[in-house]
Amino acid sequence: MSAPQTARLTDRVLGELVDALGGEYVLTSKTARMNRARVPAPFPVHRWRERIPDLVVMPATTEEVAEVVRIANAHRIPIVPRDGGTGLTDGAVPERRGIVVDVKRMNEIKEIDLDNRTCTVGPGINMLKLNEVLARHGLIYPDDPASYPCSLVGGRIGTSGWSLVGSRYGHTRDLVLSFEMVLPTGRVIRVGDGGGRKVSKSSSGYQLKHLFMGHQGTLGIATEATLKLYPKPEAEFSPFWAFADFDSAYACLGRLARAGVATFAGAVLFDEWKVDYLRRDDEAYIPQPADVRALVCAAAYGNEDEVRAGGKRLMRVARDAGARYLGDEISQGDWAARHDRYATPLHGRTAAGQVAPMSWHCEDAAIAYTDLPAVRVHWHDIITRLRERHPVFDDWGMFFYTSADTGVDYLTEIDVGIWEQELDDAAWAAWVEAKRDIAEISLRYGGSISACHGSCREGEVDLVPMELGGGYDVMLQVKKVLDPNNIMNPGKYGLQRAYEETP
Amino acid sequence: MTETEPPTSDHAPVTMQFLSDWRNAAYNCFSSGHKFCREVCPVMQVTRNESWTPTAFHANVVAMEQGELTVEDVAEDYVNCTQCGACELRCPNTLFTGDFYRFRTRTVDLVKQMRTLAVDNDIHQPGYRHWNERTDERTHEPVLGEVPVSQDRVRDWAQGLDLPIGGETILFVDCEAAFYRTSVPRAVAQLLQRAGYDFGLMREQWCCGGPAAEMGYRDQSRRFAEHNLADWRASGVRRVLVLDPHDYITFTEDYPGYFGADFDIEIVLVVELLAGFLAEGRLTPTVPIERTITYHDPCRLNKRKGVWQEPRQILRAIPGLTFHDVDRVTQWSYCSGGGGGLPVEKPELTAKISAARLDKAAELEVDTLVSACPWSERPLAEAGEARAIDVVDLHELLAESCGIDVGGSTGR
Amino acid sequence: MNGYRYDEQHTPPPARQVSDVAVERFEHIFEVDPRLMTVHVAQQLFPNWDTLRIAASRGDHLEWMHRHWAGTVLSGQELLDEIESEDGR
Repeated sequence: MSAPQTARLTDRVLGELVDALGGEYVLTSKTARMNRARVPAPFPVHRWRERIPDLVVMPATTEEVAEVVRIANAHRIPIVPRDGGTGLTDGAVPERRGIVVDVKRMNEIKEIDLDNRTCTVGPGINMLKLNEVLARHGLIYPDDPASYPCSLVGGRIGTSGWSLVGSRYGHTRDLVLSFEMVLPTGRVIRVGDGGGRKVSKSSSGYQLKHLFMGHQGTLGIATEATLKLYPKPEAEFSPFWAFADFDSAYACLGRLARAGVATFAGAVLFDEWKVDYLRRDDEAYIPQPADVRALVCAAAYGNEDEVRAGGKRLMRVARDAGARYLGDEISQGDWAARHDRYATPLHGRTAAGQVAPMSWHCEDAAIAYTDLPAVRVHWHDIITRLRERHPVFDDWGMFFYTSADTGVDYLTEIDVGIWEQELDDAAWAAWVEAKRDIAEISLRYGGSISACHGSCREGEVDLVPMELGGGYDVMLQVKKVLDPNNIMNPGKYGLQRAYEETP
Repeated sequence: MTETEPPTSDHAPVTMQFLSDWRNAAYNCFSSGHKFCREVCPVMQVTRNESWTPTAFHANVVAMEQGELTVEDVAEDYVNCTQCGACELRCPNTLFTGDFYRFRTRTVDLVKQMRTLAVDNDIHQPGYRHWNERTDERTHEPVLGEVPVSQDRVRDWAQGLDLPIGGETILFVDCEAAFYRTSVPRAVAQLLQRAGYDFGLMREQWCCGGPAAEMGYRDQSRRFAEHNLADWRASGVRRVLVLDPHDYITFTEDYPGYFGADFDIEIVLVVELLAGFLAEGRLTPTVPIERTITYHDPCRLNKRKGVWQEPRQILRAIPGLTFHDVDRVTQWSYCSGGGGGLPVEKPELTAKISAARLDKAAELEVDTLVSACPWSERPLAEAGEARAIDVVDLHELLAESCGIDVGGSTGR
Repeated sequence: MNGYRYDEQHTPPPARQVSDVAVERFEHIFEVDPRLMTVHVAQQLFPNWDTLRIAASRGDHLEWMHRHWAGTVLSGQELLDEIESEDGR
């Protein structure tokens, strides 16, 4: 193993950084460092101090970021890029101290090109805030994760984000045309499809954009992005349907996704556990009769005449599949609440039914349609066994979301409530094991460990080489070439293996 | 230099009590980690500094409980908040389930109580301490800078209006309006007179005590509250009218917190009263006012209390106005930066927040920004000068349109 | 008009059981059955104005989110009625 990476932030290095950024933007205080340690994924609070950086810097320009990286590279100091810090796989969690490079100041809108339908922004901008500005031009940047009100463009690149309306508009990797990367040596390059800033399809050279999509900050720092824009939709349509059993809901889901409706933006299946969870405390579902056991919703966006025609087709497909429409009020309200409704701590319940504050954790595999029922059974099994041994866990049910416009694969999610305050080492270890078991099922059924969060966390990260096979070796080689001194978010994805002497 | 010191759990008893009180709430936020609060926070929007987010404010409490941070470590960070309430409202734990569980996010209370904890541990912010010392000396806030305010001048704004002292209903006028932007209380008083509404002025009005509570000087705040309540009781006051949203918060949140069920005074917001008079025809604005306006929802009306309709009803009743409205939800992320003691300790941050607010108004190509909060009007007016946008109070505008010669000063 | 009064604000309407786990006090505003919040998490002091503010703000936010994404929201019921009348022919 290469030399241990303990950061030596000497006064000299501090001086260089202050010269580069100004003293106001080099943060040494305990609170500045403690508050840039975690992301929303479950966090071992009793080991917080192991995850704090030595320093935080807040650059404002590409040049400043490059200078910071050059300084860190020269002194072999680890860097952890941090944008929103709303990711779910610990990408932005410092595991080897070093310097957190916080890019949230870089949130400008640099250009809106109305004719080519692009905009160019800093990585620190939030999509909702961007869309408030774009609305004035009748445009929208339709990258819509559950974290839409708070996640930032740079992090969407770092995680290769997934969008609730991705079946129509694509996901982050499709919506970002090109971006600037500061490589771990401090060199700045532009990546896209080919070399142009506003090009969506190229065959010129290696298509490097995808290499950096989802790199989890291990290959550099994005400092500017050019985005693809759409007309702001004239119409939105989001029907919700109820089913008496999972199987008929599942069949309906498939038909909706395969109906070929051009304005179709996504469909979601809620399994019985999820409906039970909603019944505890969700106003729309409390009064629902007992024979509402599974739900499906769909969403369509676009020109009104097209959405109307497409929506009508979807209503017919669902009706023919035995669905019961839940009405306009629930359909419209629940869809508008899609970012907000499902992760409240007080939705936790003990076995006795008492309210207990639980942290939300979400597994997010990508699974082909035909494998969903089997994965569902296995996953609930795993959580049931976990709960039997450790009552601090709660099964909050599963979602299955379309990722593509053909219904080939689904973001398959199980939500687990964790009573973090009551966690002990044994429960944490059992949790890590459950995560590994969950990931193993995903691979057993030919899927991917993660559709959108990333797979850097304890439990699942060990299986990444198995998932990627020879591709993992390519990852190691690329990492070593681009980051010769292993300073860029070291330790993530097990990439330190790239620097180990081969026996 | 960057080595982390070993954890300490040498917290004072008052700190231990605080940590115990906030344990669940801090953990809820910390473990949720979703940060929906962030993009609506006015401080976050202009600084982009994660250390000053509602998330950090809660996380610090968890860290203190773990023994990783002390009150000394965190106190200064809590200056960076206007207590506008956007974060705690937008948090899904309030907005979607706060009413369901009768348990919501309370970042404003957290900031106030952490500031109080700092003071209880004898950690003072220089600006806050000085401001509240001067308030204590003079029973009113030092809103005129070097020029001292005084008790015997607290009713000077009402000169020539022939207002009685006392009665069942009194009009409470906050320090900023009583001494600085005197056109506001003059407008209100004359509108009430015009509508034939019986009211008087308070016998011995002290500062409400709200800002002291916001800055962490809770004992002083309580002392002032006790004085004011005693004065109301002694002079038979049953109802207090407030024209300032900050006072509305103080009297409907802080005072009930101090006095509980003993607090039997009715608190009436003037803007709601006036909207009622318009609807009843007791007031009819007839003088056209040729201005192109937009309305600034004061944080302590819109976000903290859900009051947004009545000000718009009033504005739409005034002839001659061209009104470019911005909806109340979009305005959850707007703020003047004037609240929570921020201008006292970090006026440059207040100025940045006000500038951002005026930039939003400027995009609408208006010549006037109308607010309904005297505390917001000072920083907004300063930012407005650079953009040739007038900042006017709602009550002033209504009075003008009712043909009232308001008098007084807007402070500029 | 009625302003803020402490006793009124701290006297919520009586609770009506609507399911095993939920009650209703204000019209169309559900609440958790308070018996489920007696062990691990206690309810906060919640004046009426706060409940009403939150419920109204939630509706406002949902409306805002619709408008943020599209000009108009279509009615599934309307489309279903159209389908059913077409099938009836």
